[in-house]
Amino acid sequence: MMSKQKLTLMIVAGAVIAAVAVKVFLSLSVQSLDPSLMRVKGDLAAKVHIVEFIDFQCPACADGAFKIKKIYTLHPKDIRIEMKYFPLVTVHRHTMTASTYAECAARQGKFWPMHDLLVERQAQWSPLISAEGMFTQFAREAGVEEVTLRRCLASPDVEQTVMQDRDLGRSLGVQSTPTYFINNKMVVGSKSLMDELNQYFPQSP
Amino acid sequence: MIFPLLRIVVGSILLASGFSKVIHPYQNFLYVVQAYQLLPGWAETLAAIVMPWVELMIGLFLVLGLWTIQVLRWALMLFAVFIVVVAQALMRVLPLDHCGCFGSWIQATPRQIIVFDSFCFLVLMVLLRHWTKTRRFSLDERFTR
Repeated sequence: MMSKQKLTLMIVAGAVIAAVAVKVFLSLSVQSLDPSLMRVKGDLAAKVHIVEFIDFQCPACADGAFKIKKIYTLHPKDIRIEMKYFPLVTVHRHTMTASTYAECAARQGKFWPMHDLLVERQAQWSPLISAEGMFTQFAREAGVEEVTLRRCLASPDVEQTVMQDRDLGRSLGVQSTPTYFINNKMVVGSKSLMDELNQYFPQSP
Repeated sequence: MIFPLLRIVVGSILLASGFSKVIHPYQNFLYVVQAYQLLPGWAETLAAIVMPWVELMIGLFLVLGLWTIQVLRWALMLFAVFIVVVAQALMRVLPLDHCGCFGSWIQATPRQIIVFDSFCFLVLMVLLRHWTKTRRFSLDERFTR
């Protein structure tokens, strides 16, 4: 009969192999991070490329956006940022609507001003029962043309674009927000973001 | 019958919890560990990599019933750690929406999870006290005949 120690080793090895096999299987479905040019800012030759998966209603995303904006202001030539949507619809009730407004702003070339307004004033709209009035106000401030915005919001492919980003994130192993890929290295949360960015830009804010 | 069943249920919970974290990038669990603001940076990374494997192995051995008594003690320690970590977060009123204990599969608040962990801790104490009954339907039985 097999000894207990030998059986233990076989079980441990079997569990490790099974977990690694599932991990490899999941990684086979990973899609590439193709850039959506409407939601990119910064030089293509920049030494640091950041792809962020954002939920506009998550407070940690607002905190991360503030930090990235600060460091981008200090090193505009060294950073390229791309935004992907990752709305956590089960946790945040306005996140999908915020994403569709941001996407419609992006289609008019106004993604970044809309993004900034959404994250900077998150505390104002987040507790509201309906936030659409405030999002429309932000769109106006961002310079988005309103008739085109209304048409865009009614279009089903806007939500589809948002969901495509979310599916891409899931295929890359994104589970929570904010998740960043800094030169393809995954980091989650603003603490890890700053730890990683400090390696490129010592004494980051 | 109830004792081996409870052993398998608690083991399955740990197994599922560990597995859901192990198959995804460790950075997701690191984010959860960081939210508890308890460890220095290097220890947070270490915990994020090691803890899911510990959960998975303890869960697996509990389900199979191999080294049952030793694994029950390890599981007790693990749940004690969970309880302390969540309790300190509650006492410090840390802004945690959910505990992050089960990856993205189940989302429970810290208050819910401390009740659940305490219940599991009590169950494990009972199982350890009645270890002869707990060892029924286990691989250990094969080696004690």
